[in-house]
Amino acid sequence: MLMTPLHHLGELLRAILKTIPLTAIRVLFVASLVALLIWVVRLPKSATEPDGGAKRWDENLKIGAAGALLIQIVIYALL
Amino acid sequence: MVFAATNSLTLPDYVVIVLYLIGTIAMGIVIGARMKTGKEFFLGGRRLPWWAIGMSLVATDIGGTDIIGVGGAAFSHGMAIANFEWIGCVPAMIVGAFVFIPFLYRSGVYTVPEFLERRYNVGVRAVMAACWLVFMACNLGIMLLASAKMMSTVFGWNEVGCMLVTAILVGGYTFVGGLAAVVYTDMIQCGVMIAGCLLILVLGLVEIGGVGELRKRLAEADVREAAIVNEGVSVSNAEADSERTSLILPADTESPFPWPGIYFGLALILSPAYWLGNQAIVQRSLGARSEFEARASYIWGALLKNIIPLIVAVPGLIAVVLLPDLSNGDQAIPSLIGVLLPAGLRGLFVAAFLAALMSSMDSYLNSAATIVSNDFYKRFIDRDVSDERLLKVGRVTTIVLVAWAVLFAFLLATMSEKSGIYAVFQTLMAFFQGPAFAVLLLGVLWRRATGQAAFIALLCGIGTSVSLYALNQPDVYGALGWEPLFRIHEPFLYFSIWAFLVTAVVLVVVSLLGTPEPSGKLRYVFGGHTGDTCSPTDTESSAGPAGRCL
Repeated sequence: MLMTPLHHLGELLRAILKTIPLTAIRVLFVASLVALLIWVVRLPKSATEPDGGAKRWDENLKIGAAGALLIQIVIYALL
Repeated sequence: MVFAATNSLTLPDYVVIVLYLIGTIAMGIVIGARMKTGKEFFLGGRRLPWWAIGMSLVATDIGGTDIIGVGGAAFSHGMAIANFEWIGCVPAMIVGAFVFIPFLYRSGVYTVPEFLERRYNVGVRAVMAACWLVFMACNLGIMLLASAKMMSTVFGWNEVGCMLVTAILVGGYTFVGGLAAVVYTDMIQCGVMIAGCLLILVLGLVEIGGVGELRKRLAEADVREAAIVNEGVSVSNAEADSERTSLILPADTESPFPWPGIYFGLALILSPAYWLGNQAIVQRSLGARSEFEARASYIWGALLKNIIPLIVAVPGLIAVVLLPDLSNGDQAIPSLIGVLLPAGLRGLFVAAFLAALMSSMDSYLNSAATIVSNDFYKRFIDRDVSDERLLKVGRVTTIVLVAWAVLFAFLLATMSEKSGIYAVFQTLMAFFQGPAFAVLLLGVLWRRATGQAAFIALLCGIGTSVSLYALNQPDVYGALGWEPLFRIHEPFLYFSIWAFLVTAVVLVVVSLLGTPEPSGKLRYVFGGHTGDTCSPTDTESSAGPAGRCL
């Protein structure tokens, strides 16, 4: 069977990706979520609260977004 | 018909189903009675609350076939399917909430292709509108047929009858109530869907003896399977090396969900492309009462998304324990219904199934009508059309799309599932989502991206994914004497990565070779706005290529 340059490129990428241990991949998944969490926490109030500021805790979108990401971090750290 | 006997419905089941259907239709009609303009039909008059939109986002994303198909995939391939609801949704929704959705909302557009015309040119808009329209119109037929087949198999109902009744009901309330009816009925459907699926999860866990017992018995099942693979030699739990409960699978896994596909293809490309660029998804947040509520709807949706895999995927794992002899994953959930749900409660699951089906169909129907009305009729046929006339166009388009969906479903039903046509339409979205996202992303991030380059890159990207799909068909690579390009089954995640990369490279190269865009286009680039913002009332109509405010 014929192997084109595309096949060789695919084989090379597969070989490289197979050498990365799954533990490192888990760190990549979790670190990406943590990075996103840090970005959310550092967002200015203008991006996360209604005009005139939050009058109740649930009007601060940072809390909901951080909560959703924390659940994801726990899930990807454990499963 | 194997499962129809075990899943026979009783009078109380039918009462639950009829109550659900009456409630849904009544709500759609009540909302539609106040409908007067195109803006109300396509964007709910920009009066939709965040909590309804958030639930609608989730309901739209989970189709009727997903309710059964995701559980089946979990049965066959394990929990890795949950990636599509977790890392394949939540991060993109949060980035969308704080970055893209407010940007699109402020631009005052009705559709994503409309935004692309303002940033690039009419060619990019037309190509993207055509892609979305073809995808949505075909998908309507596929949803109708696939769900009717499922209802026929699981409940023993007449397939043609299921298709016609579903089309008439969904078409009816979408025709009358537009986006507002879609969003509010989706909200009910989301609740019914979660309740029905939760029922299976809870009863399944009770039957097994809890989460701990489920994990223990899954490990035992893995050991048994590993022993079979190793030809009778017994293996320990550690040696069994299960992929069943893991989200992250090695690059050389035999399942369709290797980690490079999940991380690069799903989390970084397909997921943002879907949540930031899919008209059926984005449209409802454009109908929010304010920019803040548009953001809040995505955050609420992201929170809800966290529980979806628990109720749709874990039942597949429960089936591994309770029904270990099943040969086909798609039988897992229907069989569980027969085993777990007593007569009377099956009606709730059927209502959940119908809710999932209807919530996706109504969204695609309304969004496809929005694209026809705004991106084709208003853009190319009558640019001065009144809002009242546009409402009529939207409604007529809705009827035509329903008729088309039924015809297309009948056409598909005459074809063999092995003909490949069915599979082509199911992978249709993967063909253009990667290129569409590359064009959108570079358009809003990079001031130097030009319209001409975006148009060429979009066509190259779509051509790439279609070529990869064709070259990966056994008949094609066999005729060429080639090895298959991909090692996994259904490598659609990889199509999107390559198509995205090709689109991005072509867009950058052609942009740098051409002349920069005029400054008017740069208001649609992050950081390139002029500071004048729009209130929802300012953005009543499409502002056309010049765009009024951002």
